Amino acid sequence: MTANRSGSGGPKLETSISYLLIVGVIVSLVLEIIGIIILYRSYGHLAISQDTSMFIQGHNLFSFIYEQFQGKHAEGSAILCLTAGIIVLILTPYIRVIASVIYFGWEKNIKYVLITLFVLAVVTLSLALH
Amino acid sequence: MLNMVSLGLISILVGFLGSLTGLGGASILIPILVFLGIPVKEAIASAMVAIIATSSGSASSYVRARITNVRVAMYLEMFTITGAIAGATITTIIHPTYLYFFFAAFLLTASMKFKDSINKEFTPSKNQDRVAKWLQLKGSYFDESTKEVVEYKVNNAIAGGMGMLVAGLAAGMLGIGAGAFKVTVHENILKMPPKVSSTTSNFIIGMTALAGVSVYLFSGLLNLTLMAPMAVGTTIGAVIGGRILNRISNRSLRILFFVIVASLIAQMLYKGVMSI
Repeated sequence: MTANRSGSGGPKLETSISYLLIVGVIVSLVLEIIGIIILYRSYGHLAISQDTSMFIQGHNLFSFIYEQFQGKHAEGSAILCLTAGIIVLILTPYIRVIASVIYFGWEKNIKYVLITLFVLAVVTLSLALH
Repeated sequence: MLNMVSLGLISILVGFLGSLTGLGGASILIPILVFLGIPVKEAIASAMVAIIATSSGSASSYVRARITNVRVAMYLEMFTITGAIAGATITTIIHPTYLYFFFAAFLLTASMKFKDSINKEFTPSKNQDRVAKWLQLKGSYFDESTKEVVEYKVNNAIAGGMGMLVAGLAAGMLGIGAGAFKVTVHENILKMPPKVSSTTSNFIIGMTALAGVSVYLFSGLLNLTLMAPMAVGTTIGAVIGGRILNRISNRSLRILFFVIVASLIAQMLYKGVMSI
């Protein structure tokens, strides 16, 4: 059956992208759930808050992540966990493009290296600017 | 009263429907959030997280089962991302009223075609244009509902790319994932099977949403108490959707798609009329 399922591309690409997405989604899910639990234990409720501390803001994604590492936005473990979960979720599709460039490069498939590099360049540009 | 638990439960349904239809889910989630009293700009910004969660959550199953065509997705992402960024730029020049009517008309035309195809079986394209052939845009997958291997060739690669550019423009201009446009282009222009269309759209939609992240971060509209339950709920819903898609028939998938697109047309027309 496995042989019947194979199409034009190499199955390794699909498998590695699939695992990458699973890991990203699980890590993000765990961080979000931990964050929600800590939030509940701290405040005693799970209301949608309009408090400014619950809003995240940054100049762009990369500078925002850098500031997180420097601890500039850390105002409590709940917010830290929730923010980290969102960052992991956002970075998951970005990392899968990087993985695809590496895969096609390893496969010496120039056409797809160029295609994936173009996508990576445009996305990186859009994330670096606002 | 909306709280994180009820939002999480709503998001499970959104992620489930989004993963099956390839629509991302934002177009379902945003009106619900606004109806429940969340400011519209905050709802749009936070829904970006729901799109990425639906995309990654469902794609993890679809890609492994080889229903999503990764090569086709990579090729089409070039156009949709370029369109999304161009759309976000020119949205300040063109009044959105025209856009709502334009896309309502586009969806209406496309849904007529879908309505006719509900009872028709998918017939793969026998021909392939030069570009599609050069890029090896073809594939096969095992359909669990029919217990058959479905082989297909992608056709009209350039026209499909242009269609995805328009879909990207819609996403960038209207702040939506534009999954409905993507699925329409995949099926009607690129001649992809329904399941490959919706799963490949889901894969691409995460990338389109990603392109807008910095804009939303800069705007300061990203609310963690909205995004956290949305991320958890839509991921769970999308994973469940990803597990069952291959077992349901193409006909059921098309009916579901048709119903959601019909509500989208109503939404677009309403927004268009209200913005006059």
